[in-house]
Amino acid sequence: MDNTNVETVPKLKRVLQKFQKIFRSDANIHEKRIQRRLKLVNLITRRLKAIKIILFVVGYLWMVLIPFPHLGRGTYIDENALQPGQVNTQWNWGDVHVADRYLEQLEHVRDANYTSEQRATWLREEFGKLGLSASTQSYGFSTSTSNSTGTNAYAIIASPRHSGAEAIVISASWLSRIDEGKGTINIRGVSTILALAGFLKRYSYWGKDIILVISDDYLEGMQAWLGEYHGVSQSGKSVRSTQEPKADLTTGLNAEPLKLASGVIWTALNIDYPGHSFSHLGVFFEGLNGRLPNQDLINSVERIARWSARVPVILYDHLDPREDAPANVVFSWMPKTLYEIADVKSYLYQARNVIRNVGYQYNGRGSGVHGLFHQFRIDAITLFAVPATGPHGFHAIGSLIESTLRTMNNLLERLHASFFFYILTGPQRFLKIGLFLPSAILISVAMMFHGLSTWVDAAWVQEDTDNEVSEKAASTTNKSTKWRQRPRPVIKVLCIMAVTHIFGLVLFTVISRPLFISNYQVLSPITFVVFSGIPLVIRLIPQPAPPTGAAPASSVLKALNLCFASTVISIITVLNFSLAASLTIPLGVPLVASSTSSSILLRLLKYTVYALLGLGWLIFAQDEMVKSIWYWESLRVWFAPFICIVYVPLLLQAGISCIL
Amino acid sequence: MNVSKCDTKHLRCDCLTFIAQHYTFFPLALGQILRQYAVTEMHLALNAGNWNYDRWGYPEEQGVGTGAELWAWMGDGAAITVDERWKGLRNALAGLFCASLGSLDELRTTSPAQTFIPEGTLPDWGVSHTVRHASLPSEHVCTENLTPFLKLLPCKSLSGIASLLNPHRLFDADWHGMGVHVLWREGEGVEMRLTFQSVSDPLRYDSAKKQDWSLQSLFDRTIHRSCPVAQSSEIVVALPKNALYSIKPEPPLIERSSAHFDVNTPLEYRSESTQFSVKRTLRGPSQAHGQLSVVIVNHRPYAIHTLYLETMPWLLQFYVHTLEARVDGVLQAGIISNLTYIPSVPHSRPTTFQALLNLPPHSTVQITMDVTKAFLRYTEHPPDAQRGWDLPPAIFTPVELATNDSSFSVKEGRHYTSTLLVDLATPDFSMPYNVIIFTCSVIAYIFGTIFNLLTRRFVVVRLDQTKT
Repeated sequence: MDNTNVETVPKLKRVLQKFQKIFRSDANIHEKRIQRRLKLVNLITRRLKAIKIILFVVGYLWMVLIPFPHLGRGTYIDENALQPGQVNTQWNWGDVHVADRYLEQLEHVRDANYTSEQRATWLREEFGKLGLSASTQSYGFSTSTSNSTGTNAYAIIASPRHSGAEAIVISASWLSRIDEGKGTINIRGVSTILALAGFLKRYSYWGKDIILVISDDYLEGMQAWLGEYHGVSQSGKSVRSTQEPKADLTTGLNAEPLKLASGVIWTALNIDYPGHSFSHLGVFFEGLNGRLPNQDLINSVERIARWSARVPVILYDHLDPREDAPANVVFSWMPKTLYEIADVKSYLYQARNVIRNVGYQYNGRGSGVHGLFHQFRIDAITLFAVPATGPHGFHAIGSLIESTLRTMNNLLERLHASFFFYILTGPQRFLKIGLFLPSAILISVAMMFHGLSTWVDAAWVQEDTDNEVSEKAASTTNKSTKWRQRPRPVIKVLCIMAVTHIFGLVLFTVISRPLFISNYQVLSPITFVVFSGIPLVIRLIPQPAPPTGAAPASSVLKALNLCFASTVISIITVLNFSLAASLTIPLGVPLVASSTSSSILLRLLKYTVYALLGLGWLIFAQDEMVKSIWYWESLRVWFAPFICIVYVPLLLQAGISCIL
Repeated sequence: MNVSKCDTKHLRCDCLTFIAQHYTFFPLALGQILRQYAVTEMHLALNAGNWNYDRWGYPEEQGVGTGAELWAWMGDGAAITVDERWKGLRNALAGLFCASLGSLDELRTTSPAQTFIPEGTLPDWGVSHTVRHASLPSEHVCTENLTPFLKLLPCKSLSGIASLLNPHRLFDADWHGMGVHVLWREGEGVEMRLTFQSVSDPLRYDSAKKQDWSLQSLFDRTIHRSCPVAQSSEIVVALPKNALYSIKPEPPLIERSSAHFDVNTPLEYRSESTQFSVKRTLRGPSQAHGQLSVVIVNHRPYAIHTLYLETMPWLLQFYVHTLEARVDGVLQAGIISNLTYIPSVPHSRPTTFQALLNLPPHSTVQITMDVTKAFLRYTEHPPDAQRGWDLPPAIFTPVELATNDSSFSVKEGRHYTSTLLVDLATPDFSMPYNVIIFTCSVIAYIFGTIFNLLTRRFVVVRLDQTKT
């Protein structure tokens, strides 16, 4: 023992001395440090191209891998107070019979073609017969895209023994979500609510008021009801006196004030049960402007459905091909041998869920009536009874809602424990924010690197030496090249950028005019031509020649454009990941690829490509455009103004940098 | 819904004065507290649920605000100040009734003398009397409060009407509340009133879902004998006005559409619908600003005058200049008068806001006022921070205007609005480790850079050009 110690001590000392020599050589340590830093910077700058490519590839690949079955983890309940599925449910076949009776009456209401006011009055009377405080609210919506009127009916089960400062909402819109409220009546959803009203009132354990809302139409009714409940005008910005029957001029919502009031709404369940019976319960959860409900709500419903109500839960209406054979049809385009691999099958199924999620989230529209609740910090989801020939019906959905309400009733605080940022890849699997956010960030970092390098490059020009050797020398050694610094026209470029954004604002004002909306099929292509043509026309006007020796405006514009686009993407990732991820496709590689060229034809071609990327929706997605404008005007979904004021100008800037 | 109201106990103490110290019937435990803190008049109410005036009419006992409410009149001029005695009274009553009355602290104490006028008389000792009032909406009532309450009764819950006080049923009722009222009447002495009120839904207990009810079905108990020391013991049943009914046993006395059963002499019973209904809401989804909206509907064909009182913790601060009154949606002057406003002091005193309202006949008056929501210190948040804060109810007191319109006198029938829950900006307390680690990193980084800059010696380093 002693011997070994004696031997190792000098050895250790020697190693230490060696290290000291490396790190603290006799030379000036400051010089060493600066040199080390320079070396590192050199290393990065020299390999910048490779780093950018790697960042891009990893970023895009990561996005593609989000649905990978081994990424992510199983869902779990985070809030201990919830205790889902721990109660015996009392909903029985007698209550199902009551629901069936209501259904018969509702079918009569439907067939007798009641007006929405008559229908709401009928519903109010039915609630009144159960001994509940009930009322109706009529409203009118007029936006530049459409006009609609209707009447909502609602009732409040006042919580016994409690102050009623908190409330839970169970709602059903009159129109089902099928085809986005084009006409299928959510008739069984409404009868479920009516039957639940009588049922829930029988129990004294409710710690929160239960508000039952049967909203008219698809989204409009609930928006009018929620807006009045929270006493805000449509924009959600200013508090407005509700006693005023005057129409809100900006959005054209004219809603009657609510006669009954309750407390702060914490959670809401929206029931959508249009068919005769159902095989699965689909959960829809995306809210307006990309907001998601607390994951505990979805997880509790899923647990309760699985263990208490015995109904399979799915995301949206996507059946799981691993469990239901008919779902395989969707993926019939896949070669059979490849498809049979378990991971491939899971990947395809999860990819379908993720794509649907992105589709609902990126444009901020949400996936249904529940999305409206999210504006007011209410966690809400829609339970969609996927129409099928069986085997579930009122019994399953009733006991599921009862048990879920009991779970929500347990809450002492708002739902806050679980996740607000997640991607559900399946009903029981999800990705935390750390597992998907970096994908978009990596791409934006690559764009930022490219922008900064373009910016630095613009400041330097290679001195024109008299012979051609210089070029050769530049590629071989750094020593013989002569670089000269030159000014960069920042003000001019910033002006160009500002003008394009103002241009976007003008575009948005134009397309949201009622005159434009009513003739959009004719006017959209004209708008496209005008708005993509104006930059070209301005280019034709002779401009004062740039000072000699200055950097070309096009490269400075490209640099600033890339830096700005990268910043926009990074910020959007935390607001609405789906939107940010979608933006990386038209903004990521295309903006990096922009460049001028000597041939005018090629320049024009490039400009056209950018104009099509930026403004192409005026020609190819007109219906979507009209819808987005409706969502902005009536629900304040900022997708439409964002596209016009941020996205279009970014691509126009890239286009302009090609023709400058 | 068939609602039955039960006023359970009305007990008048015959003991003459405190000085006599007759504690035969008067509970010693309460008497000692009142003596110790020299309280002239005291009212304590502990209620659960929200009294629905529109459906249930006026309650027998007017103090029905959700949660705990305590108010007392005390003579000034003693060696110990009123505020100290008020503190002592709160804590003593908290101990006696096992309720969190100790939390009715300075953050919640106000002196609204016009709304809470003494029910008895104030002795003329040549000193001024002041009122102290506090309410705690988040206080819940349960069995542990009922047990000490029953102990104050001479027969406990062993006999008489008090034997109906079955906690299993009372605390399952849609609304229930108990009250302890002590007051002094000139020439009569000290009067104590112990009340228990509940609103139950007979349908809930009846499997046949019929609207019939009996004492047995409502309370799961019956009265076997009256309390021997009680002078009167009476059950009053309000009879339906426009419907068929049968009542067994046949009541010995029916007057003003109510049947009287003498369990052992008469108690006046009135059942009238409310003159007005009130809906108070806090609007606006933001955590920084909002709007307090009070909608009052006058059901009567004549104008009503009422005092509107808000005793608001400093969590919600009023912008009184934005106070507006609209009648049926039209802005109108002359609705609000006699404004008394004591602004809140952040982190301590609550706001006292009182106004005299003139409600035109058959009209809807909406009063709105912008409010700002407080930003709390992190130690001020309760353990259940994400719940929000319960705000006490507003109180409406009908008043009679004198002919010259300059003075008014308060009438009976205080009206409590529902409580409110306010969301204040709340930090995410559920992830303290992340927050601590993050904050520590930031502080370490800032400290490190600044320390580095302060201690560093700046030198010019000449780099060897060939190396770079």
